[in-house]
Amino acid sequence: MDWYLLLAAILLPALSAALCYILKNQKLRIAVVSISTLLLFAVAGGFIALMINSPEGKLVFQMDEHVLEIVGWLIKGLDFLLFCYIGYIGIKHKKAIVLVLTVLQFIPWVLFEIFGVFGKVHEPEQAFIIDHLSLIMIMLVSIIGPIVTFFGLGYMKEHEHHLHLKVSRQPRFFMILFIFLGAMNALVMTDNLSWMYFFWEVTTLCSFLLISHDGTEIAIKNGLRALWLNSVGGVAFIIAILMVNTSLDTLSIQAISNSGMQGAFTGMLPIALGLLCIAGFTKSAQFPFQSWLLGAMVAPTPVSALLHSNTMVKAGVYLVVRIAPAFAGTRLGQLVAVAGGFTFVAASAIAISQSNAKKVLDYSTIANLGLIICCAGIGTRISLAAAILLMIFHAVSKGLLFLCVGTIELGIGSRDIEDMQGLFKKMPFTTVITVIGQISMLLPPFGVLITKWMAIETAVHNPLVLLFIILGSALTVVFWSKWIGIILTMSYKPKYHVEKLSFSIRAALSVLIALVMAASIGIAPLYNQFVKPQIVAFNIADKEMLSGTGMGVWLEKVNQAVYGGFASIIFFGVILILMVAIPIITNRIKPARLKPPYLCGSNADEDLRGLDFISPGDKVEKVVVRNYYMESVFGENKLTFWLNLAAGAIIIILLGVVIGL
Amino acid sequence: MSINNILTAVIAIIAAPILGGLLFGIDRKITARMQNRFGPPVLQPFYDFFKLIGKQGIAVNQTQMVYVLGHLFFAIGALVMLVLKQDLLMLMFILAFSGVSLIMGAMSVRSPYSKIGAQREIMQMMAYEPVLLLMVVGVYKVTGSFMISDIFNHDKPLLYSLPLLFLAFIYVLTIKLRKSPFDFSTSHHGHQELIKGVTTEFSGTQLALLELTDWIDLVLLLGLISLFFAKPLWVGILIALVCYFFEIVIDNISARVTWQWMVKITWVAGIGAALVNIVWMYLIP
Repeated sequence: MDWYLLLAAILLPALSAALCYILKNQKLRIAVVSISTLLLFAVAGGFIALMINSPEGKLVFQMDEHVLEIVGWLIKGLDFLLFCYIGYIGIKHKKAIVLVLTVLQFIPWVLFEIFGVFGKVHEPEQAFIIDHLSLIMIMLVSIIGPIVTFFGLGYMKEHEHHLHLKVSRQPRFFMILFIFLGAMNALVMTDNLSWMYFFWEVTTLCSFLLISHDGTEIAIKNGLRALWLNSVGGVAFIIAILMVNTSLDTLSIQAISNSGMQGAFTGMLPIALGLLCIAGFTKSAQFPFQSWLLGAMVAPTPVSALLHSNTMVKAGVYLVVRIAPAFAGTRLGQLVAVAGGFTFVAASAIAISQSNAKKVLDYSTIANLGLIICCAGIGTRISLAAAILLMIFHAVSKGLLFLCVGTIELGIGSRDIEDMQGLFKKMPFTTVITVIGQISMLLPPFGVLITKWMAIETAVHNPLVLLFIILGSALTVVFWSKWIGIILTMSYKPKYHVEKLSFSIRAALSVLIALVMAASIGIAPLYNQFVKPQIVAFNIADKEMLSGTGMGVWLEKVNQAVYGGFASIIFFGVILILMVAIPIITNRIKPARLKPPYLCGSNADEDLRGLDFISPGDKVEKVVVRNYYMESVFGENKLTFWLNLAAGAIIIILLGVVIGL
Repeated sequence: MSINNILTAVIAIIAAPILGGLLFGIDRKITARMQNRFGPPVLQPFYDFFKLIGKQGIAVNQTQMVYVLGHLFFAIGALVMLVLKQDLLMLMFILAFSGVSLIMGAMSVRSPYSKIGAQREIMQMMAYEPVLLLMVVGVYKVTGSFMISDIFNHDKPLLYSLPLLFLAFIYVLTIKLRKSPFDFSTSHHGHQELIKGVTTEFSGTQLALLELTDWIDLVLLLGLISLFFAKPLWVGILIALVCYFFEIVIDNISARVTWQWMVKITWVAGIGAALVNIVWMYLIP
C-alpha cells in the first residue's frame, strides 16, 4: 500500500532534522521548519483520508521478505549505535547507573536479536499496521508537534537572546525536535515490538538531549535523571520482548493485544504484560517514576510542551492502552487501574501546593496520564474510549498551556502564579487564550471533564479506583480555579498594552486554541469517526458501549438503554454566548460607575485599582493577598517520599501478582 | 427536546426562584423567632431583591457581571438537568461550574476580603465535592444508572439502601448553603473579620442576581434530597423541608469553625460515612 506516506511520516522529519542541522542560517531554518510543518500536516491528512477510505479499518503495510530483512538489520545496527551512544553519555557524565542500565539492556538484546539464544525471533511479517489508535497518535504527533516546533522559532530566538549565547545552538535543537517527531511517528505505526523498542529508546535519548540542551549543570543533571529512569523502563521493555517471543511465538503488537480473549493469558505472558506496563509507567512519569518529568521543566518551553503533550509521555500511555485488551478484566488490569488512579490523586494533591506555573502543569500532566492509565486498566469499552479521548484532549490543551506559560514567562519574566495578577492588562491576547486553555482542562462541557465524567461512570465497579478518581477530581478543581482566579484578577479600566509577539508564537497559540475548541465542540463526531472504530476493533468481552449521537455522548447498555449521558453541544452554546458577552459588557460599563475595591482601611489615594490603604497609625500599607497553597498539608517535600513509597508498593504488588498468575 | 421538556424546564426556571425566595423568607422568620425577634415579613427576600435591582449599578471592574451571570446560568443549567431527569453526575459537575464561576468573580477583584472569601470557598468545594460525587455513585449502585429518570423508575426509595449517604449529604448541605458552623467564605453580618467574603465586592444588580442564584441553588439541593424518597415524591419533598428546618436549627445553635477543621472533618466523617455505605452496597450482590 501507499508506502510514500509511511516513509514521509518517518523520513520527512529525519530529512528536516538533517537540513536544520546543516543550514545554520536563521532564515533558511525558518523556511525548513515552515515547510516541514505544512508537509507533516499533509501527511496526517493523507493518513486520515486513507483510513476513511479503507474498508477494514486498518492499513497494513507488508514488506518483501528481503526488504524486511534489510530493514530489520538496519534497525538492529542503529540500535547497537544507540546503546553505544547512551553508554558513552554515561561514561562522559560519570553516571554509573546509566551505564549499568544500558549494559543490562545490551546483554539480553545481543543474546536475543543477534545470536538468537532465547529461541527463534518471530518477527511479524507485517511491519507496519495503522489502526485508528495509531492514526490518532499520528494526528497528535504530526499536527501538534510541528505547531510546537514552529512556536520554537520565535521562542528560541528570545530564549537565546536571554542566555547571551555567542553561537546559536538552534540547529542542534531543531534537529533533535524533528528526530523526536519522526521516532514518535514510527513508534506508533510499527507492529513489531522489537522495532518499537528501538524507537522507544530513540525518544529516551532525544528527551535527554533536549532536557540538557542549555548545558547548565542543573539541565544536565535533570537530563541524566530522565535518561536513567527511562532506561529502567527500557530494561523492563526488553525483558518483556523476550517473554512475549517465547510465550506467543510472535512479536506482533496486534497479536499481543488480541491474546487476552484467545485464552493465551497464562505462562509468561502476564509477566511480559506487567513489564510492558511498567515500561509505560516510566515513560509516562507515573509515581514513583515522576521525578524525571518534573526535572524536564528546566528545558526550553517547546521541549516541555512536546514532552508533556503529544510525544514522550503519550508513548507510555499509548503502549498501555494498546495492550490493555490483553489484560482487560484480570487482576493485572485492576492493579494497573489502581496504579493509575493513585498517580491521579497523588499528583493532583501535590499540585495544590505549587505556585510555579510550570510545576502545576507538570503535576497536572502526571495526574491526567494517571487517569488515562487508570481507564486503560479498568478495561471496559467505555473506559478505553475515555482513555483515548483523554489522550486527544489532554494533548491539545496541555500543548497549548505550556506554550502559553512560555509566552507569559517571556512577557513578565516570571513563571510564578502569584506574579500573574493583572496579566490581562499586560498581555490580553495570551491571557484570553491561557484562560480558555485552563478552563478546557477543568470545566464542562470541555473534553477533559467529559472524559473524567466517563472515567467515574466506568470505575463504579472498582471501589478503590473510584475513590481515587473522585478525590483526585475534587483536588483538581482547587489548583485550577486558584490559578484561573489569579490570572483573571482585573483592576478597573486597564490600559491595554498591545502585545509584541512574534508571528510564530501568535500563530501557534491561535491554531492550538482553535484545535482545543474544535475537539471539544466536535466530541461526538470525533468519537464516532476516530475512537469508536478502534473500540469496536478491540477484542473485549464487555458489552456496554458509548455512543455519540444527539448533540452529545451517551453510555448505553447492550439493550441500548441509556444509563448516562450528556448533551454537550447545548452547554457549548451557553459558554460561547458568555465568551461573546465578556467584551460587550466590558465596553458598556462607564467609568463613572466604577469604584475602588473595599480595603482593610480607607483607600490611600484616588487610584481605582486599590493597591494601598491607610492602616491604623496613618501608615500607607500595600495590599498583598496570596492564594492558599497549604504547603503544610500538600507540600511537595512532605508528600513525595510517602507517595513514592506507596506507589512503589503498588508496583511490587503488580509484579508479584503477574508472577503468581 | 420535545415541547413537553421545554415546558417543564421553563416552569422550573420560573417556579424555582419563587419557591427559593419564599423558603429564604421563612428561614429568616424562623431564625428571628429562635432569637426572640419578630423578624421581617416572609416576602422580605423579594423586597430586597427588587430594591437591589433598582440600585445604581456600581462595579469594581468590568468583568464581574460575566461571572455573576455564569454563576446564575449554570445553576439554572443544573436545575434544568434535574427537572428533565438527566445524568446526575454531570449535574454535579455543572453545579461545580456554577461554584467556580462565583469564585472567579470574587477573585477578579483586588480586594483582600473577597479574595480570602474565594480561597475559603475553594476549600469548601474541595470538602463537599467528593461527597456529592460519592452520592452519585451510591445512587448508581442502587439503580444501575446515572440517569435521574431511573431513580423514579426504581421501585424502592433510595433512602432504604443509602441511609449513611443521606446523612453525609445533609452534612455537606450545610457547607453548600454556607450555614453556620461552615459560613466562613461569607458571613451573615457586615462587621466580621471577612466583611461579606465572596460577595463583598458585588452590589446592586449583581448582588440581586447572586441572591437569585442562591434561591435556585436551595431548590436544587432540596430537590436532590427529595430524590432519596422519590416514590411517592411528596414524602421526599417533606423530608427535604424537614432537613432544611434542621439546617436552620444548626445554623442558629452553632458558632463558626475554621476551614481546616471543616476540611478535616468532612473528608474523614463525610467521605467515611459515604464510603461505608457504598462498600456495603458493593457487598450486596
